[in-house]
Amino acid sequence: MSQFIQFAMTRAFLALITLLTVSLIVFTLMELVPGTCAERYLAFKNTQGSQITIADIKAEERRLGLDRPFVERWVKWVGNVFIHGEFGDSCILRLNINQLLADKFWISLGICMAALILSYAIAVPIGIISASSNNAFVNNSLRFVSYLGLALPNFLLALIIMLFSTVFFGDSLTGLFSKEYRDAAWSMAKFGDFLSHAWLPVFILGWSATAFALQTVRALMLDEIGKLYVTAASARGVSGARLLWRYPAKHSLGPVINSLGFDLNRIFNELPIVALILTLTEAGALLFESLARSNDQQLAGAIIFLLTASIVALNFFTDILLALIDPRVRRGMMG
Amino acid sequence: MSEPLISVKDLTIRFRTDEGLVTAVENVTFDINPGEVMGLVGESGSGKSVTAKALMRLNAGNTRYDPKSRIILNLPDGPVDVFSLKRDAELRVVRGGAVSMIFQEPMASFAPAISVGKQMIEQLLIHTDLSKAAARDLSIEMLDRVGIPDAARRFDQYAFEFSGGMRQRAMIAMALSTRPRLLIADEPTTALDVTIQAQVIDLMKDLVSEFGMAILFITHDLGVIAQTADKVAVMYLGRIVEKGTVRQVIRDPQHPYTRGLLSALPKLEDLEAKLTPVPGDIPSPLDRPAGCVFQTRCPVAIPGRCDRDVPDDTNLSGGRSVACHVVADSVKQGMT
Repeated sequence: MSQFIQFAMTRAFLALITLLTVSLIVFTLMELVPGTCAERYLAFKNTQGSQITIADIKAEERRLGLDRPFVERWVKWVGNVFIHGEFGDSCILRLNINQLLADKFWISLGICMAALILSYAIAVPIGIISASSNNAFVNNSLRFVSYLGLALPNFLLALIIMLFSTVFFGDSLTGLFSKEYRDAAWSMAKFGDFLSHAWLPVFILGWSATAFALQTVRALMLDEIGKLYVTAASARGVSGARLLWRYPAKHSLGPVINSLGFDLNRIFNELPIVALILTLTEAGALLFESLARSNDQQLAGAIIFLLTASIVALNFFTDILLALIDPRVRRGMMG
Repeated sequence: MSEPLISVKDLTIRFRTDEGLVTAVENVTFDINPGEVMGLVGESGSGKSVTAKALMRLNAGNTRYDPKSRIILNLPDGPVDVFSLKRDAELRVVRGGAVSMIFQEPMASFAPAISVGKQMIEQLLIHTDLSKAAARDLSIEMLDRVGIPDAARRFDQYAFEFSGGMRQRAMIAMALSTRPRLLIADEPTTALDVTIQAQVIDLMKDLVSEFGMAILFITHDLGVIAQTADKVAVMYLGRIVEKGTVRQVIRDPQHPYTRGLLSALPKLEDLEAKLTPVPGDIPSPLDRPAGCVFQTRCPVAIPGRCDRDVPDDTNLSGGRSVACHVVADSVKQGMT
């Protein structure tokens, strides 16, 4: 047990190192964007008609601390992020990034996590059962539905559902909140309203993720079922559900758990397109906006860092889970 | 003589495949008496493993057993017709109850993420009325008995933490913990080093006499059979071509295939002697030869007969039988 705690601590420490490295990379990328925040802001002011000089830029740089060395600025940024959870101000909008992002990031992450959990909650049991069943009809229909999920682009699925809903129910199902709750503070009623809207993006994102996970689980299961230890277990009299869940199912879950972090990333990448169609206000869309249109390095950096941090956290969690179910991983990592 | 422990009669096994029905085992008949060790010898593809698995009904879902096939297990509380067992609970008697099996690859036959001890306890809880604690004690005792040092600590370890020889010992301990009447050993020493092989074979011999059980020992290694078995059956392409006591078959092989197998073995007393392999390859089960299964590779095949008629078993003295036209002819000549 103490060994396990030690293992978890080591993993947590490694995750922290990863995060620091990520922050350095993100910060460097932010710096690589041509022009500094000071230049860009004053250039923006210039377009508004005010005259600016080099001296103005220098003064602004000093005000923002941009004249300090790179490493010092990184340490300051990382310190604020890690200790206060504070990302500073957006370059262009001149607003506090935490306020700007506010719930958006957590809503995005929540939708993605919900889609991820939904897809695995469906794919794991169904994949396991279908791999062990010889029923051709069940297997073929599952395959059909999941290939459909893999082949249909998310945006198309979203458009189809919107079209149907508009024609038959007169509701386009867009947005994440009803009008009356849009700017209201969080309450049970607002949360309920949110859920009544959020199921659609979760469903759309979850479908293709489920299809993908289902194929993975099925393939892994078929691989495990053919192994000698399963025959050996049934030669010892282990049978039925016990044989299925304790032997091939348990052993096929390792790679599935391993792919969770990867899947979260994939779902997050798909979210902005779905969000655009359903006119959701979420972090992914904001990321595109800040990267592609307004060149807002501070904001983009914050979003990328938060996303990476979520994936690092999820990977930490799956590492622990993997060590819990597989002794080989445990021994390998603890030495 | 008392009843045989297990009696296999006219066992014919076919697999349904995309190419049609493939015959893997045909009219296999043998008995094993209590406490007896029977060797089942043959090349890979000869059907020996399929035969063994049939005794536990472990063959895959596409297996078709011919309705004539009979496997009767004579237990103290009455005979069991193995093919009449239907539900999982009924099958347990041949799956770890009265019949246990050890496999060629001990590493692959333990579930990698379940400790050796847990798998042993699981089996005992299925087949006996023991409590968990008693099952644990018995399992540790069995591990100790097969010579695993520090058995109590090893009990909680996983198969990947055991050495090759230790894994096979643990496999034997697990198979014997339910005190089966028949142990099926499917090439149990093939994957081991020669020195470890000898240890495992000695261990199995000891345990047979201690537990008074019978063993069906499957191997392609006639040397191992000579050391362990009381009697032997030689299989080729799904048929038993010759069976008898080990002494008879190894000293004086009658079937051309058995002769070929024996002359293909290196001889320690004459290292200069050339090895004579059996010519040709074992045919695919998809196109089994007509007549005698061995006629395509047989040096003494009689054209027009061996490739047409399936030879019957010819009974020789001492309970030996050989399925060969040439042998049958010479016996007839001897009688006239």
